[in-house]
Amino acid sequence: MTAAPRHHLDTATLVSHASGALTPEFSAIVATHLSGCAECRRALARAESVGGILIDQQQPAPAGERGERLREAMLQRLERARPAPLPTAPPPDIDPDRLPAPLHPYFGTSYRALKWRWMGPAMHYIRTTGPSGATLLMLKIGPGRRMPVHGHHGSELTQILRGAYDDALGHFAAGDAADLDAETEHQPVTAAGVPCICVSALDAPLRLEGWFARKVQRVFGI
Amino acid sequence: MAARGDRESFMRIYDHFMPRLCLYLQGVGLPEAAAEDLAQEALLRLWQRASAFDPARSAVSTWLYRIARNLQIDRLRREAGRVQVAMQAVDEEYGDETPSAEDYADGIQLRRCIDALSPVQARLIRMSYFEARSHHEIAAELGMPLGTVKSHLRRAFLRLQGELGGME
Repeated sequence: MTAAPRHHLDTATLVSHASGALTPEFSAIVATHLSGCAECRRALARAESVGGILIDQQQPAPAGERGERLREAMLQRLERARPAPLPTAPPPDIDPDRLPAPLHPYFGTSYRALKWRWMGPAMHYIRTTGPSGATLLMLKIGPGRRMPVHGHHGSELTQILRGAYDDALGHFAAGDAADLDAETEHQPVTAAGVPCICVSALDAPLRLEGWFARKVQRVFGI
Repeated sequence: MAARGDRESFMRIYDHFMPRLCLYLQGVGLPEAAAEDLAQEALLRLWQRASAFDPARSAVSTWLYRIARNLQIDRLRREAGRVQVAMQAVDEEYGDETPSAEDYADGIQLRRCIDALSPVQARLIRMSYFEARSHHEIAAELGMPLGTVKSHLRRAFLRLQGELGGME
Protein backbone atom coordinates (compact mmCIF):
# COMPACT_ATOMS: atom_id res chain seq x y z
CA MET A 1 0.00 0.00 0.00
CA THR A 2 2.36 2.68 -1.15
CA ALA A 3 0.17 5.13 -3.07
CA ALA A 4 -2.39 7.17 -1.14
CA PRO A 5 -5.90 5.73 -1.53
CA ARG A 6 -8.15 7.36 -4.11
CA HIS A 7 -11.48 6.02 -2.88
CA HIS A 8 -12.40 6.99 0.63
CA LEU A 9 -14.94 6.27 3.34
CA ASP A 10 -18.29 7.96 3.04
CA THR A 11 -18.49 10.96 5.36
CA ALA A 12 -21.64 9.51 6.92
CA THR A 13 -19.68 6.32 7.74
CA LEU A 14 -16.90 8.33 9.37
CA VAL A 15 -19.42 10.22 11.52
CA SER A 16 -20.88 6.87 12.63
CA HIS A 17 -17.42 5.53 13.41
CA ALA A 18 -16.52 8.67 15.36
CA SER A 19 -19.74 8.44 17.35
CA GLY A 20 -19.32 4.74 18.16
CA ALA A 21 -22.47 3.77 16.27
CA LEU A 22 -20.95 1.30 13.80
CA THR A 23 -21.16 -2.43 14.42
CA PRO A 24 -17.84 -4.14 15.23
CA GLU A 25 -17.80 -5.72 11.76
CA PHE A 26 -18.10 -2.40 9.92
CA SER A 27 -15.65 -0.82 12.40
CA ALA A 28 -13.08 -3.48 11.52
CA ILE A 29 -13.26 -2.51 7.83
CA VAL A 30 -13.18 1.20 8.67
CA ALA A 31 -10.12 0.69 10.91
CA THR A 32 -8.41 -1.30 8.14
CA HIS A 33 -8.93 1.59 5.73
CA LEU A 34 -7.87 4.21 8.28
CA SER A 35 -4.59 2.43 8.94
CA GLY A 36 -3.54 3.25 5.37
CA CYS A 37 -5.36 6.53 4.71
CA ALA A 38 -4.12 9.81 6.22
CA GLU A 39 -6.95 11.77 4.57
CA CYS A 40 -9.66 9.71 6.28
CA ARG A 41 -7.73 9.84 9.59
CA ARG A 42 -7.79 13.65 9.42
CA ALA A 43 -11.51 13.62 8.66
CA LEU A 44 -12.06 11.25 11.59
CA ALA A 45 -10.13 13.59 13.91
CA ARG A 46 -12.48 16.40 12.86
CA ALA A 47 -15.53 14.21 13.42
CA GLU A 48 -14.21 13.45 16.90
CA SER A 49 -13.68 17.12 17.66
CA VAL A 50 -17.39 17.63 16.88
CA GLY A 51 -18.09 15.00 19.57
CA GLY A 52 -15.84 16.88 22.00
CA ILE A 53 -17.60 20.16 21.40
CA LEU A 54 -21.03 18.56 21.77
CA ILE A 55 -19.96 17.21 25.17
CA ASP A 56 -18.62 20.59 26.15
CA GLN A 57 -21.94 22.23 25.21
CA GLN A 58 -24.03 20.11 27.59
CA GLN A 59 -25.83 21.87 30.41
CA PRO A 60 -25.59 19.57 33.42
CA ALA A 61 -27.41 20.14 36.70
CA PRO A 62 -25.21 21.42 39.55
CA ALA A 63 -23.31 18.65 41.34
CA GLY A 64 -25.22 17.47 44.40
CA GLU A 65 -24.03 15.48 47.38
CA ARG A 66 -23.32 12.49 45.16
CA GLY A 67 -21.12 14.67 42.99
CA GLU A 68 -19.21 15.84 46.03
CA ARG A 69 -18.54 12.24 47.09
CA LEU A 70 -17.28 11.40 43.61
CA ARG A 71 -15.04 14.46 43.64
CA GLU A 72 -13.58 13.40 46.95
CA ALA A 73 -12.97 9.89 45.59
CA MET A 74 -11.23 11.36 42.55
CA LEU A 75 -8.90 13.44 44.70
CA GLN A 76 -7.91 10.28 46.55
CA ARG A 77 -7.30 8.44 43.30
CA LEU A 78 -5.03 11.26 42.11
CA GLU A 79 -2.84 10.72 45.16
CA ARG A 80 -2.38 7.07 44.30
CA ALA A 81 -2.24 7.32 40.52
CA ARG A 82 1.13 6.94 38.87
CA PRO A 83 1.77 8.51 35.50
CA ALA A 84 1.01 6.01 32.79
CA PRO A 85 3.89 5.03 30.53
CA LEU A 86 3.78 6.74 27.19
CA PRO A 87 2.14 4.54 24.61
CA THR A 88 4.46 3.23 22.00
CA ALA A 89 3.27 3.30 18.43
CA PRO A 90 2.70 -0.19 17.06
CA PRO A 91 5.49 -1.17 14.68
CA PRO A 92 4.52 -0.72 11.04
CA ASP A 93 3.40 -3.92 9.36
CA ILE A 94 6.29 -4.59 7.05
CA ASP A 95 5.67 -8.32 6.79
CA PRO A 96 3.75 -8.68 3.51
CA ASP A 97 2.10 -11.85 4.81
CA ARG A 98 0.51 -10.07 7.76
CA LEU A 99 -3.17 -9.17 7.54
CA PRO A 100 -4.18 -5.70 8.78
CA ALA A 101 -4.53 -5.81 12.58
CA PRO A 102 -8.26 -4.89 12.74
CA LEU A 103 -9.04 -8.09 10.78
CA HIS A 104 -7.15 -10.44 13.10
CA PRO A 105 -10.12 -11.32 15.36
CA TYR A 106 -12.05 -12.50 12.32
CA PHE A 107 -9.51 -13.88 9.87
CA GLY A 108 -6.31 -14.52 11.83
CA THR A 109 -3.02 -12.78 11.22
CA SER A 110 -1.58 -14.28 8.05
CA TYR A 111 -2.57 -14.25 4.38
CA ARG A 112 -0.85 -17.60 3.88
CA ALA A 113 -2.87 -19.25 6.65
CA LEU A 114 -6.26 -18.16 5.27
CA LYS A 115 -8.56 -21.13 4.69
CA TRP A 116 -10.11 -20.28 1.36
CA ARG A 117 -13.22 -22.03 0.13
CA TRP A 118 -13.88 -22.58 -3.52
CA MET A 119 -16.87 -20.81 -5.11
CA GLY A 120 -16.03 -20.98 -8.80
CA PRO A 121 -13.09 -20.99 -11.22
CA ALA A 122 -10.40 -18.70 -9.74
CA MET A 123 -12.88 -17.49 -7.11
CA HIS A 124 -12.51 -18.20 -3.41
CA TYR A 125 -14.15 -16.84 -0.31
CA ILE A 126 -14.12 -16.88 3.48
CA ARG A 127 -17.28 -15.90 5.26
CA THR A 128 -17.67 -15.20 8.94
CA THR A 129 -20.45 -13.78 11.06
CA GLY A 130 -19.39 -11.12 13.53
CA PRO A 131 -20.66 -10.48 17.06
CA SER A 132 -23.49 -8.21 15.95
CA GLY A 133 -24.67 -10.66 13.29
CA ALA A 134 -23.28 -8.76 10.30
CA THR A 135 -21.31 -10.73 7.73
CA LEU A 136 -17.64 -10.32 6.97
CA LEU A 137 -16.74 -11.71 3.58
CA MET A 138 -13.24 -11.99 2.17
CA LEU A 139 -12.96 -12.71 -1.53
CA LYS A 140 -10.01 -13.73 -3.68
CA ILE A 141 -10.73 -13.40 -7.35
CA GLY A 142 -8.22 -14.29 -10.04
CA PRO A 143 -7.06 -11.58 -12.47
CA GLY A 144 -9.38 -10.57 -15.32
CA ARG A 145 -12.51 -12.16 -13.83
CA ARG A 146 -16.00 -10.77 -14.05
CA MET A 147 -18.04 -10.94 -10.83
CA PRO A 148 -21.80 -11.44 -10.92
CA VAL A 149 -23.82 -8.21 -11.11
CA HIS A 150 -25.05 -7.54 -7.62
CA GLY A 151 -26.77 -4.94 -5.55
CA HIS A 152 -27.28 -4.74 -1.83
CA HIS A 153 -30.25 -5.02 0.47
CA GLY A 154 -28.30 -3.08 3.08
CA SER A 155 -24.89 -1.48 3.22
CA GLU A 156 -21.66 -2.94 1.88
CA LEU A 157 -18.32 -1.59 2.94
CA THR A 158 -15.33 -3.07 1.11
CA GLN A 159 -11.63 -2.54 1.54
CA ILE A 160 -9.30 -3.69 -1.22
CA LEU A 161 -6.30 -5.46 0.28
CA ARG A 162 -4.44 -6.68 -2.79
CA GLY A 163 -4.81 -6.40 -6.54
CA ALA A 164 -7.48 -4.20 -8.11
CA TYR A 165 -10.85 -4.18 -9.82
CA ASP A 166 -12.86 -1.85 -12.01
CA ASP A 167 -16.56 -1.23 -12.00
CA ALA A 168 -18.92 1.57 -13.02
CA LEU A 169 -17.72 3.57 -10.01
CA GLY A 170 -14.08 3.54 -11.06
CA HIS A 171 -10.77 1.76 -10.54
CA PHE A 172 -10.30 0.36 -7.03
CA ALA A 173 -6.79 -0.67 -5.97
CA ALA A 174 -5.18 -1.89 -2.75
CA GLY A 175 -5.88 0.63 0.02
CA ASP A 176 -9.12 1.92 -1.52
CA ALA A 177 -12.49 1.64 0.18
CA ALA A 178 -15.80 1.08 -1.64
CA ASP A 179 -18.54 2.39 0.63
CA LEU A 180 -21.81 1.37 -1.01
CA ASP A 181 -25.45 1.47 -0.02
CA ALA A 182 -28.60 -0.23 -1.16
CA GLU A 183 -29.05 1.88 -4.29
CA THR A 184 -25.74 0.77 -5.79
CA GLU A 185 -25.59 -2.11 -8.22
CA HIS A 186 -22.25 -3.04 -9.65
CA GLN A 187 -20.23 -5.68 -11.45
CA PRO A 188 -16.57 -5.60 -10.49
CA VAL A 189 -14.06 -6.91 -13.03
CA THR A 190 -10.67 -7.73 -11.54
CA ALA A 191 -7.59 -6.18 -13.09
CA ALA A 192 -4.85 -8.15 -14.82
CA GLY A 193 -1.83 -9.22 -12.82
CA VAL A 194 -2.34 -10.52 -9.29
CA PRO A 195 -5.56 -11.87 -7.76
CA CYS A 196 -7.75 -9.27 -6.12
CA ILE A 197 -8.28 -9.82 -2.40
CA CYS A 198 -10.89 -7.68 -0.74
CA VAL A 199 -12.83 -7.80 2.50
CA SER A 200 -16.40 -6.58 2.96
CA ALA A 201 -18.80 -6.01 5.80
CA LEU A 202 -22.42 -6.63 4.83
CA ASP A 203 -25.43 -5.97 7.01
CA ALA A 204 -27.80 -7.81 4.65
CA PRO A 205 -27.36 -10.48 1.99
CA LEU A 206 -26.16 -9.43 -1.45
CA ARG A 207 -28.86 -9.03 -4.08
CA LEU A 208 -27.67 -11.06 -7.05
CA GLU A 209 -29.06 -10.73 -10.55
CA GLY A 210 -29.78 -13.89 -12.52
CA TRP A 211 -30.82 -17.42 -11.57
CA PHE A 212 -27.35 -18.92 -11.67
CA ALA A 213 -25.83 -16.36 -9.35
CA ARG A 214 -28.75 -16.73 -6.95
CA LYS A 215 -28.26 -20.47 -6.92
CA VAL A 216 -24.56 -20.02 -6.17
CA GLN A 217 -25.55 -17.70 -3.36
CA ARG A 218 -27.81 -20.33 -1.81
CA VAL A 219 -25.18 -23.01 -2.08
CA PHE A 220 -22.37 -20.94 -0.62
CA GLY A 221 -24.40 -18.90 1.79
CA ILE A 222 -22.87 -15.53 0.86
CA MET B 1 3.93 12.88 41.34
CA ALA B 2 2.35 16.07 40.13
CA ALA B 3 2.51 19.19 42.27
CA ARG B 4 -0.42 20.74 44.09
CA GLY B 5 -0.88 23.40 41.39
CA ASP B 6 -1.26 20.69 38.75
CA ARG B 7 -3.85 18.99 40.90
CA GLU B 8 -5.85 22.18 41.23
CA SER B 9 -5.85 22.87 37.52
CA PHE B 10 -6.78 19.26 36.83
CA MET B 11 -9.69 19.51 39.26
CA ARG B 12 -10.98 22.55 37.37
CA ILE B 13 -11.11 20.36 34.25
CA TYR B 14 -12.73 17.62 36.35
CA ASP B 15 -15.43 19.96 37.67
CA HIS B 16 -16.29 21.09 34.17
CA PHE B 17 -16.23 17.75 32.36
CA MET B 18 -17.30 15.19 34.97
CA PRO B 19 -21.04 16.05 34.85
CA ARG B 20 -20.89 16.53 31.07
CA LEU B 21 -19.26 13.15 30.46
CA CYS B 22 -21.85 11.54 32.73
CA LEU B 23 -24.67 13.07 30.70
CA TYR B 24 -23.07 11.86 27.48
CA LEU B 25 -22.52 8.31 28.75
CA GLN B 26 -26.07 8.07 30.10
CA GLY B 27 -27.27 9.31 26.72
CA VAL B 28 -25.58 6.40 24.96
CA GLY B 29 -27.29 3.97 27.31
CA LEU B 30 -25.29 3.58 30.52
CA PRO B 31 -26.98 3.47 33.93
CA GLU B 32 -26.00 6.39 36.16
CA ALA B 33 -23.46 4.57 38.33
CA ALA B 34 -21.71 2.96 35.35
CA ALA B 35 -21.61 6.34 33.58
CA GLU B 36 -19.94 7.86 36.65
CA ASP B 37 -17.37 5.05 36.76
CA LEU B 38 -16.42 5.44 33.10
CA ALA B 39 -16.34 9.25 33.30
CA GLN B 40 -13.95 9.02 36.25
CA GLU B 41 -11.84 6.46 34.45
CA ALA B 42 -11.57 8.76 31.40
CA LEU B 43 -10.58 11.73 33.55
CA LEU B 44 -8.05 9.68 35.50
CA ARG B 45 -6.39 8.74 32.22
CA LEU B 46 -6.11 12.42 31.35
CA TRP B 47 -4.36 12.97 34.69
CA GLN B 48 -2.03 10.03 34.16
CA ARG B 49 -1.11 11.21 30.68
CA ALA B 50 -0.88 14.87 31.66
CA SER B 51 2.79 15.11 30.77
CA ALA B 52 2.10 13.83 27.25
CA PHE B 53 -1.00 15.90 26.70
CA ASP B 54 -0.40 18.82 24.36
CA PRO B 55 -3.29 21.28 24.41
CA ALA B 56 -2.07 22.85 21.18
CA ARG B 57 -2.59 19.57 19.35
CA SER B 58 -5.89 18.42 20.74
CA ALA B 59 -8.67 20.07 22.68
CA VAL B 60 -9.29 18.47 26.08
CA SER B 61 -12.92 17.96 25.06
CA THR B 62 -11.93 15.94 21.96
CA TRP B 63 -9.46 13.87 23.92
CA LEU B 64 -11.97 13.07 26.66
CA TYR B 65 -14.69 12.36 24.12
CA ARG B 66 -12.49 9.83 22.35
CA ILE B 67 -11.50 8.08 25.58
CA ALA B 68 -15.05 7.97 26.96
CA ARG B 69 -16.41 6.61 23.69
CA ASN B 70 -13.72 3.92 23.47
CA LEU B 71 -14.26 2.90 27.10
CA GLN B 72 -17.97 2.61 26.41
CA ILE B 73 -17.46 0.54 23.23
CA ASP B 74 -15.05 -1.72 25.12
CA ARG B 75 -17.53 -2.17 27.92
CA LEU B 76 -20.33 -3.11 25.52
CA ARG B 77 -18.15 -5.70 23.83
CA ARG B 78 -16.96 -7.17 27.09
CA GLU B 79 -20.49 -7.40 28.44
CA ALA B 80 -21.72 -9.15 25.36
CA GLY B 81 -18.83 -11.62 25.66
CA ARG B 82 -17.88 -10.70 22.16
CA VAL B 83 -14.54 -11.08 20.47
CA GLN B 84 -12.11 -8.51 21.64
CA VAL B 85 -11.79 -6.47 18.52
CA ALA B 86 -8.42 -4.89 18.04
CA MET B 87 -9.09 -1.30 18.99
CA GLN B 88 -5.32 -0.71 19.23
CA ALA B 89 -4.39 0.86 22.53
CA VAL B 90 -7.88 1.94 23.43
CA ASP B 91 -7.11 5.56 24.06
CA GLU B 92 -4.32 6.25 21.64
CA GLU B 93 -5.97 5.40 18.38
CA TYR B 94 -4.56 7.56 15.60
CA GLY B 95 -3.15 9.99 18.13
CA ASP B 96 -0.88 11.48 15.49
CA GLU B 97 -3.83 12.74 13.50
CA THR B 98 -5.35 14.88 16.21
CA PRO B 99 -6.25 18.32 14.94
CA SER B 100 -3.42 20.82 14.67
CA ALA B 101 -3.11 24.09 16.55
CA GLU B 102 -5.10 25.89 13.85
CA ASP B 103 -7.86 23.32 14.12
CA TYR B 104 -7.96 23.90 17.84
CA ALA B 105 -8.28 27.64 17.32
CA ASP B 106 -11.20 26.84 15.03
CA GLY B 107 -13.02 25.16 17.90
CA ILE B 108 -14.95 28.28 18.79
CA GLN B 109 -16.05 28.65 15.20
CA LEU B 110 -17.03 24.98 15.01
CA ARG B 111 -19.23 25.54 18.03
CA ARG B 112 -21.04 28.34 16.22
CA CYS B 113 -21.41 26.14 13.13
CA ILE B 114 -23.05 23.37 15.16
CA ASP B 115 -25.50 25.90 16.52
CA ALA B 116 -26.24 27.08 12.98
CA LEU B 117 -27.13 23.67 11.51
CA SER B 118 -30.67 23.17 10.24
CA PRO B 119 -32.97 21.54 12.82
CA VAL B 120 -32.94 18.22 10.93
CA GLN B 121 -29.15 18.21 10.55
CA ALA B 122 -28.67 19.14 14.20
CA ARG B 123 -31.03 16.37 15.25
CA LEU B 124 -29.23 13.75 13.18
CA ILE B 125 -25.82 14.88 14.45
CA ARG B 126 -27.07 14.69 18.03
CA MET B 127 -28.71 11.28 17.50
CA SER B 128 -25.42 10.03 16.07
CA TYR B 129 -23.16 11.38 18.78
CA PHE B 130 -25.35 11.40 21.87
CA GLU B 131 -27.32 8.24 21.29
CA ALA B 132 -24.74 6.38 19.15
CA ARG B 133 -27.54 5.46 16.74
CA SER B 134 -26.75 3.76 13.45
CA HIS B 135 -28.04 5.15 10.17
CA HIS B 136 -30.61 2.35 10.07
CA GLU B 137 -31.89 3.13 13.54
CA ILE B 138 -32.17 6.84 12.79
CA ALA B 139 -33.98 6.09 9.53
CA ALA B 140 -36.45 3.80 11.31
CA GLU B 141 -37.12 6.19 14.16
CA LEU B 142 -37.63 9.27 11.99
CA GLY B 143 -39.43 7.41 9.20
CA MET B 144 -36.82 8.71 6.75
CA PRO B 145 -35.24 6.77 3.87
CA LEU B 146 -31.73 5.52 4.70
CA GLY B 147 -30.23 7.47 1.80
CA THR B 148 -31.77 10.69 3.12
CA VAL B 149 -30.30 10.11 6.58
CA LYS B 150 -26.87 9.62 5.07
CA SER B 151 -27.08 12.65 2.80
CA HIS B 152 -28.23 14.87 5.69
CA LEU B 153 -25.31 13.66 7.80
CA ARG B 154 -22.89 14.19 4.92
CA ARG B 155 -24.15 17.70 4.32
CA ALA B 156 -24.08 18.55 8.02
CA PHE B 157 -20.51 17.38 8.38
CA LEU B 158 -19.30 18.99 5.17
CA ARG B 159 -20.93 22.21 6.26
CA LEU B 160 -19.17 22.09 9.62
CA GLN B 161 -15.93 21.37 7.85
CA GLY B 162 -16.43 23.81 5.00
CA GLU B 163 -17.26 26.73 7.24
CA LEU B 164 -14.07 26.19 9.16
CA GLY B 165 -12.08 26.80 6.00
CA GLY B 166 -8.38 26.24 5.54
CA MET B 167 -8.37 22.97 7.42
CA GLU B 168 -6.99 20.90 4.60
